[in-house]
Amino acid sequence: MSKSNNFVFQALNVVAWIIFIGLCIETGALLVNFVYSLFKPEVVHNLYQKLDLSQIYNLNKWAYFGLYGFILSISVLKAYLFYVVTELLSKLDLEEPFSISASGHITKISYITLSVGIISYIARQTAMGLTHYGFDTAPLGKFWADSKAFILMAAVLYVIASIFRRGVELQNENDLTV
Amino acid sequence: MPIIVNLDVMMARRKMSLNELSEKVDLTLSNLSILKTGKAKAIRFTTLDAICKALDCQPGDILEYREDVKEEA
Repeated sequence: MSKSNNFVFQALNVVAWIIFIGLCIETGALLVNFVYSLFKPEVVHNLYQKLDLSQIYNLNKWAYFGLYGFILSISVLKAYLFYVVTELLSKLDLEEPFSISASGHITKISYITLSVGIISYIARQTAMGLTHYGFDTAPLGKFWADSKAFILMAAVLYVIASIFRRGVELQNENDLTV
Repeated sequence: MPIIVNLDVMMARRKMSLNELSEKVDLTLSNLSILKTGKAKAIRFTTLDAICKALDCQPGDILEYREDVKEEA
């Protein structure tokens, strides 16, 4: 494997770690926001993204919990997605890339990506439906804006994972060829 | 797999050790061990040629087809 490829993978690993830490912080901030919005709603304006959903809470408590549930689950899944990416990048051996571990990680990444995509899509449709009942869900759009991109990415990753699975079989066969 | 590798039988007939064969055919001990224990999935013609030359035998003396042998899990 060339040195430039090694450098690219190391850089990708660093970037993935930075994104993972960023997403963990975001998830934590959203959780703090959620807890404060329940017990001390007056300070929400000073917290992360000023995510004030009190209008939704006052109109319907279940809509509020549902939407916050979507926000939190998407955020947690995105953080977990990047955790698996960092695991994959740190364990990937470029001399022998077709390993059961790498194949499993890519399959897991594709499933998590699909989950993020589907949850984002359902959340977007739910938020759109709620606007007809007078709920202001416009500030939440940024949390589920890229649902279709995630679903498409999951499909591409699944294809790559399938190729990797076949690659593992071929490498195993090659290793046992005398 | 119903293909049986009789390498150990031929080695015993020729009174040749695994180390000696390994040196003669230029194969690592681990690869020869894979072949001897029947774990190998394939064998190259070059390897077969070298083994036959070293043991002075035919490919049929090393490989045998037996239908009743069940595939390992």
